[in-house]
Amino acid sequence: MKALQHAAFGILALPASGLGVHAYADPAVAPDKTRPEQALVSAPTQDFIADAPGTYALPAIEPAGNGWVLEDNYWPRRLSNYTYDAVTLLSFIYTYCIDPIGCPLAYATMADLRSRVLADTSLRGKVRFVSLSFDPTNDTPEAMHSYGSDYADSTALPWHFLTTYSTHFLLPILDSYGQDVAVELDTAGRPTRTRTHMLKLFLIDPHSEVREIYSAAFLLPEVMYNDIKTLAMESDTPLAATSKQIANP
Amino acid sequence: MKLHTSYSISIAVAALLCVPSAVNTAQADETCNSPYMSGLIKGQEQFLHVWTLGVKGMGDGSDKLVTIDVDPKTKDFGKVINTLSVGGRGESHHMGFTDNRKYLWAGRLDDSKIFVFDVGTNPAKPTLVKTITDFTSKTGFVGPHTFYALPGRILVQGLSNSNNHDGVTGIALYNNKGDYITDYKMPVGDKAIGGGDGYGYDIGINPSKNVMLTSSFTGWTNYMMDLGTLITDANAMKNFGNTMVIWSVKSMKPIKVLNVPGAPLEIRWNLKPGHNWAVTATALTSKLWLIKQDANGEWQAKDVASIGDPSKVPLPVDISITADGKGLWVNTFMDGMTRYFDMTDPEHPVQTYGMHTGKQVNMVSQSWDGKRLYVTSSLLANWDKKASDDEQFLKGYDWDGKKLTQVFDVDFYKLNLGRAHHMKFSAKAKETASLDNEAAMGIADAGP
Repeated sequence: MKALQHAAFGILALPASGLGVHAYADPAVAPDKTRPEQALVSAPTQDFIADAPGTYALPAIEPAGNGWVLEDNYWPRRLSNYTYDAVTLLSFIYTYCIDPIGCPLAYATMADLRSRVLADTSLRGKVRFVSLSFDPTNDTPEAMHSYGSDYADSTALPWHFLTTYSTHFLLPILDSYGQDVAVELDTAGRPTRTRTHMLKLFLIDPHSEVREIYSAAFLLPEVMYNDIKTLAMESDTPLAATSKQIANP
Repeated sequence: MKLHTSYSISIAVAALLCVPSAVNTAQADETCNSPYMSGLIKGQEQFLHVWTLGVKGMGDGSDKLVTIDVDPKTKDFGKVINTLSVGGRGESHHMGFTDNRKYLWAGRLDDSKIFVFDVGTNPAKPTLVKTITDFTSKTGFVGPHTFYALPGRILVQGLSNSNNHDGVTGIALYNNKGDYITDYKMPVGDKAIGGGDGYGYDIGINPSKNVMLTSSFTGWTNYMMDLGTLITDANAMKNFGNTMVIWSVKSMKPIKVLNVPGAPLEIRWNLKPGHNWAVTATALTSKLWLIKQDANGEWQAKDVASIGDPSKVPLPVDISITADGKGLWVNTFMDGMTRYFDMTDPEHPVQTYGMHTGKQVNMVSQSWDGKRLYVTSSLLANWDKKASDDEQFLKGYDWDGKKLTQVFDVDFYKLNLGRAHHMKFSAKAKETASLDNEAAMGIADAGP
């Protein structure tokens, strides 16, 4: 976890055991922790000067999806509570993902952005991050909190690590965001714990409208930071809902 | 709940995650599509979908999506395995995948309808899941031509407008659900950026440069006119695009208008990382143009080669760049030639091979590995040749680096299908289980 917090964006060095913070529900499918580090992967290239914040508009792509989620405990909460009244960056992840261009890349990008946002006093109280698990079976509320570590406890920039009670509750959320995911099979045709998914991060405005979607090719922190600022500039009022405490339904 | 293998997640999704280089933004689908699309088929494509123009009195007379098995290991290799009629004839033209490669959007230039096919669930048997009919009412544009995937949404380049049916048009943006989001007008006479004729045709994006490049063709009045009539109408012949436009992808604002006379059509960026140039072919002047930055970082367009004998107007139509950017296939409609240009020096392309592949040829698509090439015949219903010259086909070729060898020929008229136009590849997805099948395997959920 700490290693990731300090990972430089651009070149990621990821431990083979995912983020190194999480126990597997099914040890039989856990990765081999004796392996050396995963291959290094370059981040997308930004060979241009990013458009300045506020000089462009981000159209409303679609309403943010909704559904029942869990945070820290098993009290059901509405996802919509986490996607309104602040500029929200939402990612779908699972804690033991080791695909270097999947969840770890998303995580590292968000960690980079977190530093940028925290350094910008004009964004104070206007931004939150949300990471929602693809795998409610393994990623319990406790596991997600552990995965989030210091970020999950920080109030400087709220970062909510969510899961769902079951796939029954997860699937409608994924559907609403158009987030593809499937379960890989082993050689015998049995499901493994590995998810295949197209990496996407969603930037949501305070009115719960998706205003930008980032795939791997778009994970450019400077551009994403400018997008966050652009949305924040649309509404300059600090928003209470960005506090760590999300109201129950 | 029964465990089933699912093709509902496209092969692309699986492939994306298995290919670390997918994060490198200079990739695209089989060399010709949006770099934001997942699911690059680097191996053997299995199916080829042809967006086909219906012909009155031929079969059901309807526009249709025709699926051909192109896997040489199968018994149906080179055969039509499915047809899906959409009803009516509206000048079927181009198609494009959504970012997850599950859906294929296909447009009609006459009635401006957009058909959304599910090709992810079972690519051997696509289904029509949505018909979008608000392209013109929402935007004023006519003729949805290029479909270019962005994450969660798709750009749709128009060719014309409903006001006077000339070539002034724009780009619509839809989300993946098929809902209109917004639109962007092509620049017209904007002196600050070099003018602009307002025309549109193709879209190509270079993510690492935040650059979108567009090209220009002609409006509804011209593309729906009989070609023989058109070329004798001096005034009509003035109504073709002569520009390309550099845009900021982020802001979707035009940055610079490039002068590229003679209807620049398809745009292909070199896919090799760091090689930030694009190429296009001009239909009327039969030239290859190179678009790249100069020493000062300014985008410039440069005429770098002739295609055939421009004085004979061979009419270059489609182009297909190799994955390494070192070669370019060019189809010329009038003389039925498929030509290969060595692009090792993009400032000086050289034709090194040519083959007469039909009496009329239009689209050309190559596999990612460059070993297979596919050619179709139809340009536009009213521009296709007449009588015995009006061949309609899909032909498959093997390319060994020196010559093309035909491996199959599907006669679209003989099969009562219609006019064969745009092609897209697909393949069965890697076998996966859907999330809701986990419970069936006895794996507990997260309950306390």
